[in-house]
Amino acid sequence: MKLAAPAHEYDFSQALTPNRIRGLWRMMSGFQWQYAGATASLAVAACAKTTTFILLRYFVDIVLGQGNYSLGGTLNRTLIIIAFGFIGLASIEGSFSYFSGRLAAYTAEGITRRLRNYLYDHIQRLEFAYHDKTPTGELIERCTSDVDALRRFYSEQAIGVGRIVILFVINFTAIALLSIRLALISIIIVPVIILTSIWFFRRVTKAYEKYQEQEAILSTTLQENLAGVRVVKAFARQEYEINKFNTENWEKYSRGRKLLTMQAFFWPVSDIVCSFQTLTGLLIAGTMAINGTITVGTYMAYAGLVGWLIWPMRNLGRLIVQTSTGLVSFGRVTEIIKQKQEPLTEGNYQSQQPIRGEMIFDKVGFAYENNPPVLQDISFSCQPGQVVALLGSTGSGKTTLVNLLPRFYDYTTGSIKLDGVELTDYPREFLRSQVGIVQQEPFLFSRSIRENIMYGVNRDVPQVEVENAASSAAIHDVIISFPNEYDTLVGEKGVTLSGGQKQRVTIARTILKDSRMLILDDSTSSVDTETESAIREALMGLTPKRTTFIIAHRIQSVMNADLILVMDKGRIIQKGTHEELLEQDGMYRRIYDLQTRIDEELAMELSESVSRE
Amino acid sequence: MAEIELEEDEYTSQITGKTVGRIFSLTRPHWRWVAGFWVMIAFTSILDAIFTYINKNIIDQGIIAQSQHALRSLLTLYGGLILVQSVCVFFFIFLAGILGERIQFDLRKSMFNHLQQLSLAFYSQTSVGRLMARVTSDSGRVSDLVTWGLVDSTWAIMNIITSTIFMMIINWKLALIVLGAIPILLTIAVQFRKRILVEFRNSRKANSKITGAYNENISGVRVVKSLGREAENLKEFTILTDEMYRSSYHAAWLSALFLPTVQIISAIALGFIVWYGGLQAHLGIMTIGGIQAFVSYLTFMMWPIQDLARVYAEMQHSIASGERIFTLLDSVPEVFDRPGAADPGTIKGEIEFDHVDFTYEDGKPVLTDFTMKIKPGEMIALVGPTGGGKSTIVNLLCRFYEPKRGVIRINRRDYTEFTLHGIQSRVGIVLQTPHLFSGTVRENIRYGCLNATDEEVENASKLAGAHDFIQNFEKKYDQDVGEGGNLLSVGQKQLVSIARAILAQPDIFIMDEATSSVDTLTEALIQRGMENLMLGRTSFIIAHRLSTIKRANRIIVVEDGRITEMGTHSELLRARGHYYRLYTQQFREEREQEFDPYLTQATNMPED
Repeated sequence: MKLAAPAHEYDFSQALTPNRIRGLWRMMSGFQWQYAGATASLAVAACAKTTTFILLRYFVDIVLGQGNYSLGGTLNRTLIIIAFGFIGLASIEGSFSYFSGRLAAYTAEGITRRLRNYLYDHIQRLEFAYHDKTPTGELIERCTSDVDALRRFYSEQAIGVGRIVILFVINFTAIALLSIRLALISIIIVPVIILTSIWFFRRVTKAYEKYQEQEAILSTTLQENLAGVRVVKAFARQEYEINKFNTENWEKYSRGRKLLTMQAFFWPVSDIVCSFQTLTGLLIAGTMAINGTITVGTYMAYAGLVGWLIWPMRNLGRLIVQTSTGLVSFGRVTEIIKQKQEPLTEGNYQSQQPIRGEMIFDKVGFAYENNPPVLQDISFSCQPGQVVALLGSTGSGKTTLVNLLPRFYDYTTGSIKLDGVELTDYPREFLRSQVGIVQQEPFLFSRSIRENIMYGVNRDVPQVEVENAASSAAIHDVIISFPNEYDTLVGEKGVTLSGGQKQRVTIARTILKDSRMLILDDSTSSVDTETESAIREALMGLTPKRTTFIIAHRIQSVMNADLILVMDKGRIIQKGTHEELLEQDGMYRRIYDLQTRIDEELAMELSESVSRE
Repeated sequence: MAEIELEEDEYTSQITGKTVGRIFSLTRPHWRWVAGFWVMIAFTSILDAIFTYINKNIIDQGIIAQSQHALRSLLTLYGGLILVQSVCVFFFIFLAGILGERIQFDLRKSMFNHLQQLSLAFYSQTSVGRLMARVTSDSGRVSDLVTWGLVDSTWAIMNIITSTIFMMIINWKLALIVLGAIPILLTIAVQFRKRILVEFRNSRKANSKITGAYNENISGVRVVKSLGREAENLKEFTILTDEMYRSSYHAAWLSALFLPTVQIISAIALGFIVWYGGLQAHLGIMTIGGIQAFVSYLTFMMWPIQDLARVYAEMQHSIASGERIFTLLDSVPEVFDRPGAADPGTIKGEIEFDHVDFTYEDGKPVLTDFTMKIKPGEMIALVGPTGGGKSTIVNLLCRFYEPKRGVIRINRRDYTEFTLHGIQSRVGIVLQTPHLFSGTVRENIRYGCLNATDEEVENASKLAGAHDFIQNFEKKYDQDVGEGGNLLSVGQKQLVSIARAILAQPDIFIMDEATSSVDTLTEALIQRGMENLMLGRTSFIIAHRLSTIKRANRIIVVEDGRITEMGTHSELLRARGHYYRLYTQQFREEREQEFDPYLTQATNMPED
């Protein structure tokens, strides 16, 4: 089966509408004909099925009952024609249900692929502010489970409901053609079945959610126990842990019991209801047949058709309830789609010249939406190539301040001029290509070390360049000590790098990027003393001739900066060089005194010990 | 969180009778339930076959024979049997379901209990993710085998048998011919299943890759943005979604093809029945109802046959799961209580390492001929580079591992003469990366001593220096710490774990100092908390801070798995050996103002 490929890309923001059904329909854009084809094939298949029973009636009444062989001339030939009739009808039914299944799968899988790609790209283009407030797990959950729920909606639920409705209409029509009275009698119970099954599956869904919740609690308990095995052993708390696990385990068992009891009641009870509807029909049809109102063949056709009328109804409730989870998932996915993307290339100042790095901050302020300001009244300036150090406690606004530079956030008041041009006039993409960032928590991707170092450069980099960057970052020797050298995988399937090693790989990455401006976020904090010096050496190679912003909370790291900004509660409370600030009576000197006092004690200690020699 | 991809489905396991036997022996305590649902499912299947037979008789004896009486009594019988069958259905769903839950409960319980006994050596070889998979998904698969697996196969086999019998009763010649279709159907079913399964597996693998890609890109979004990798990333991701698309679309249309294929093949059998049955009916050998019933029995057999292939594939899965579970349950703890082990009462006495050798699994010696005596109340600082073996000494002392050679004595007795509980319950430990359990702050501190009063908890927390920040929480001591304590900062977690250790009133205190810097105030609090804990206790500190090291009674320098130096701070400085170098290096880094990282031109390298 050849199908014209519908658009692989679709702007899902066009599917945003308050009406979720309409939204789901729009999401199918480009697949709507295929989906209609799937439904139409279902109808053809159902018709073929129904016709089988009509053929059965002909076989019983005309051929066997009346001995009329006009179809083939002789009994044998008539029977062969009828036999092929059955085979032919089954082939039509089979082929068309295959078409239907294939078209539905084509639609569902196609939409899902498109949606996955869209979400992936969309999320990486959402604003920082959005990522700050949205937990990673939550986003992943929506991109996986909810997208899968949507896939099931298209591939099973929507088409499943369609199938049952089509079966009902066609079979009802067929029975009505046999006898309108029988047709009406046969569907008395249908509304009852639908309603109770909806009611039941709603409850089951709820019970199932509770069961799943408990399963999650149990997993957490287990995970924490396994991860904390040393604590458990160190406090000899095995008994306690066993009891804790047992309680949760038992709770899960009893919730499972509840769920099963409901299931165990529903199926036989609905069996009884459906069966008695069928039997009533059979009694009436049988009586009619005995009285000669209908023929034996008609009775048999009816007995076959009525099953296809009633039994699927039990599943209608299940599908309708599941459909509602599809709708919920649609809502959860569109919540992400609704978010605005950062325009990466927009900007009034479209220059491709590298920046020089002169910066003037004038009364800059920043606040998240309607919250109190995080930064206030920030004013300072620096020349190209200068080092600006930011000192202050956690939460004083240091990181927020440097995050303004690559336009991760846009300042809400005041002005920042980079080389004389307002920062917000630069396109984000260009700005980010000019700024290199070494973050506090080094983040590596689970791919090879080479790919990690090359991550920020969109070009083929010769091995020499990668190695040079790694050497400058003092990590080359470590890398070549691995069996696969630069092809060593990082992460779970490869080597586990220490914090310091990771940090140096990210530094190599930044070196390779060769950007005009640098941001170093407290990059030596998570490292033990030996690697710290290696990292410092690596950083030394980075700073000359680039405007550099350093975030730190140790005096030693900031002393030689051209400008030190001491921050507190989102404001600059002191600024100047190390010498200037030491003159002042302020926070800088207090921090300095505290840190040097410890050092002096150590120096004394050392000289004492040595002098005792 | 992203699920950890465990490619365990990969290794195909041979169905070994032993494993199957052991899996089924799990049901022994609940054999009544098994017998119950087994009988019920068999009844259900037989009744289904009888219903078809009744339908035949309705046509032949009721309608064609024009007997209103026969019609009514047959339908009454039908109705009655439906009630009986409903009861059977209820019980088999209920019993099989409950049994499944129960087996899962039992398996999880025994695995968890066993895991608590296993020693650290086991944990260092097996990842948490793998163990999680054993306890959660593997136990589910095994319980499915003894319940739904049994239900499905019983149902399938019963349907085939009863259908065959009834067909034989109606017309044995035709029955034999129709039965010829069974092998064909089975072959087709198996072929389809195989292919569908492969594609399913591929799509599951692709799916976990996609989840991983989402996870990485979202948690690394700041790096992605700052490096401008968006377009490149999308390109790479599209490869994954294409892979997923191909395999799941393939699996879906194969499944869509499977059922029609089976239907068409049985339609050929059906056509044969019509032709042959019609001829026979003409001769008066077969009735109309008989032909109808034959057709019904044929469909009746068709379902289980295509289902058997699925059941068999799942069974193989379950047995592999069972094997993994039994391997876990059969693993023996390396550290265990010797017969006649006694509670030491206290472990405040002298500790002695007497010619101790130790190696981990990889065979690389970690400690060789290590001998030392620690006096009660002494404070020992362990220093040296990461991976040198500092934590091994601590692990041996806590008896997480035991020496391969030599003896460790506590209170002048070989510590293997004591119970594990007796030793470990008297050791207080604070780890470098503090581990908390979800729950409140109070519950976490109380972990140190389960029957401590609230007052005692607060006192411990005051001693640890944790009280102040806890008071600042909205719910104070009832504040939720989040999964793994993630709602607290590292420094706060450490303070809580110190409080927990203080509450435990240990005889020996062990601390692995954090390397990461916390803010100055918190660090001071931690130092004070440690001092309170060390008071009058033998303590071992894996130390990173000079201030801590300096305070120790004795310093042990561990390098490359050997103890290179041992002594007091000033002794070791005078020796001008490893310690001297370590100390001065650290000292320089903290002290030397000229050695600034950011301005090369400003300094010369310090001479070595």
